[in-house]
Amino acid sequence: MSTRRDLRVVRSGGYVIHVDVCEEVSLDCAREIHKLYYSIKSELSNQITEVVPGVSSIAIHYDPRKVSGESLARRIRDLWLWCRDVDVEDLYRSRKFTIPVVYGGEFGPDLQFIAAWSKLAEDEVVRIHSSRRYTVITLGFTPGFVYMGEVDPSIAAPRLETPRVKIPAGSVGVAGKMTGVYGLESPGGWRLVGRTPLTMFDYRRNPPIPISPGDEVYFKPIDAADFSKLLGIFVGDYSG
Amino acid sequence: MGSLRVEYIAGLATVQDLGRDGYRALGVPVSGALDKLSAVYANALAGNKPRSAVIEVFGAISLKLLSDAVVAVTGGYPRVFVDNVEVKSWMPVLCSRGSVLKVSPSGIGRIHYIAVSGGVVCEEVLGSRSTYVRGGMGCLGRPLKVGDVFEVPPIDVGYVWSRVADLRPPSDLVEKHVKPESSTLLRATEGVHSHLLEDLGTLLKSEYVVTAESDRMGYRLDGPPLASARKLGRLPSVPTDRGYVQVPPDGKPIVLMSDAQTTGGYAVALHVLPRDVDYLAQLSPGRRVRFELVDAGSADEEVSKYLGELERPVLQREELEYWG
Repeated sequence: MSTRRDLRVVRSGGYVIHVDVCEEVSLDCAREIHKLYYSIKSELSNQITEVVPGVSSIAIHYDPRKVSGESLARRIRDLWLWCRDVDVEDLYRSRKFTIPVVYGGEFGPDLQFIAAWSKLAEDEVVRIHSSRRYTVITLGFTPGFVYMGEVDPSIAAPRLETPRVKIPAGSVGVAGKMTGVYGLESPGGWRLVGRTPLTMFDYRRNPPIPISPGDEVYFKPIDAADFSKLLGIFVGDYSG
Repeated sequence: MGSLRVEYIAGLATVQDLGRDGYRALGVPVSGALDKLSAVYANALAGNKPRSAVIEVFGAISLKLLSDAVVAVTGGYPRVFVDNVEVKSWMPVLCSRGSVLKVSPSGIGRIHYIAVSGGVVCEEVLGSRSTYVRGGMGCLGRPLKVGDVFEVPPIDVGYVWSRVADLRPPSDLVEKHVKPESSTLLRATEGVHSHLLEDLGTLLKSEYVVTAESDRMGYRLDGPPLASARKLGRLPSVPTDRGYVQVPPDGKPIVLMSDAQTTGGYAVALHVLPRDVDYLAQLSPGRRVRFELVDAGSADEEVSKYLGELERPVLQREELEYWG
């Protein structure tokens, strides 16, 4: 696996420390990032202003008036050595979320493409996509966008060459090994397999999305009639 | 409650404060004023706290003040009129109820900030009134339009005026906003992917021009392209922030601004220091910039000064002249 190598630490802009954990995006890599992410949150929270996990790296924001970037970078390296042998499952809150999805048709305009790409029937692609347990890798890109992995290699189609200008909130997409849900309407280049009626991101709540890195996500196929019934239910209030 | 009403807009006007820090891990852009120094000085000159909400204007706006107010307009050399009489920018101005405040561009600079004593009151989302238009959140969740009315808290305007009338911002800061240099120097540290860009030297040696494709998400620059960016193509997304210099495969740099997405898959060549992002924000299309690499230690030092100044703007008191 590509994750066991030395950390690359970059001090950026006078208030960010960037830690490059691995070179390729994978669930193994995500687990290494989560170890560091949750360890930083529990051990260094009084020395930093924000910690942002990515898909293969982490950004740590700090106030240089309170801590020097040099000493913080050192503490992060020490913490990395310490947390490498921690069992990541002990750090997770291990929450489970079920996300109902209408697959195909206008809800998943790329299901047909993925079926052709994988040489499988559309039903089979739906079965494969919805029969896995996914782990949340991170959130980001736009408010409430959830990156999850890993997708079964047989349906891991590449992203669109030209991104769409507008994708409806709740759209579920595939991009290589990752699957994701768009929290808000936005542009995007993932292959869309379906859409959830749940409200994934509601900025009037705090937190506006209850999902965290390491949580488990299951997709449940539903039909268009269920879609109207479930429309607008907050993801944190839906129990499947 | 005092209040104000939008009478005219040409361009884009939104309510902003210093942004919504703390939610990057959920994908929420920080938003906030593009030129934070101008925003905090507008507030200070109007007797407000640094994080009070101000109106950010690309273009021109006209506001009717429905109560007495102390107003300050800052940013890239705005022209300011109260009831059609021109007054100075970067100065507190006492306006009486019913007066009309007009702010228009002078051709120098790009963004104007209007602070009204007491601050603009509107919906706070995740600890900030900054408007993030793409996400429909913060304040009105959209740009201002004619007819919008904002509440301003009831305050003793006479008392505010007695405290701020003789306050003046540092002259070098004002100078920088009203007379930009022919080429603005942007100090930057290395970025996350500097080590992957073998022609980073091109970026550091050349002059780049601000293009018209520049908005609250990012400023696109034109100049010698970085050929190595094409070879790199798409990289695993990294967390990004204001001031990150991204280089997409066409090799032309984009400096991310306040509404930028929180992760990005393009090579990050440099990270421009926050103070210099404020100055960049004010550059109109056609203006030129150069990058200068600074080390991590001096970047920490400069950012410390900058954050201190955002919290406590440096104001001097001027001897007022009395007539008669």
